[in-house]
Amino acid sequence: MEGALEQHLDDTMKNPAIVGVLCTDAQGHNLGCRGSLSDEHGGVVSVLAKQAASLTKDPTDSPTVCLESDSGNILMRTHGTITLAVHKMAS
Amino acid sequence: MGCCFSTGSNQDDSKKPLIPDPNLDRKPTNGSDRNADGLSSSRKNDQDLHAAIVQRTALNIIDVSAVISQGLEQHEYMDRARQYSTKVGVLNRTWSQKKPVPLPSLSSQPHQVLAADLVSNADVQQVSKIAAYAYSAISQIKVDAKEELVVQFAIP
Repeated sequence: MEGALEQHLDDTMKNPAIVGVLCTDAQGHNLGCRGSLSDEHGGVVSVLAKQAASLTKDPTDSPTVCLESDSGNILMRTHGTITLAVHKMAS
Repeated sequence: MGCCFSTGSNQDDSKKPLIPDPNLDRKPTNGSDRNADGLSSSRKNDQDLHAAIVQRTALNIIDVSAVISQGLEQHEYMDRARQYSTKVGVLNRTWSQKKPVPLPSLSSQPHQVLAADLVSNADVQQVSKIAAYAYSAISQIKVDAKEELVVQFAIP
């Protein structure tokens, strides 16, 4: 049943600039991860996205949280009930 | 009496308890005497307990009002001051050794990170698309009911 998600994560990792991807549910439970992002990052990712969403009054406006560092950027976005995080190196 | 075979000497044999009561006095007592003994012994226990509590409290209590009237001799005062200062010194040393953990250093070159290019719109759009695909992939995870869960047994 989870084959579609697993395939999608693999396809995402095919992009050379992307070194990690993580998918969590609303409680931070890990639904799938690849590369530099793993289980232990699930909680932080879900909470950051949730807190960012509370900054705006518009419920349909889903913000993208960006953590910039000298080892690439981590972008997090919530879509529906899941939160996705992508670790991308600067190209 | 009351038994088939007996040597016939003691009339108390049939009435003697199997397990001797250690608290029972040897002398013959009637009911009221035994109750009075019990009461006085429990009262004595209470008094002992009470005395113990009072004594313990008196040992632990620090009577502040009495300090002013008491005079400390010079040498005793110096002794106590030295004792307290060594104790405080030891505590200070142990406290100062436990420093709070500082925040982790995230980057050795913060200027470079701050001056770097902003996250491009293309990247944001890409992540948005990946998130949408992931959501649709997860919504495919559902229970596919093929058979009835509850089955009737055919009992002939």
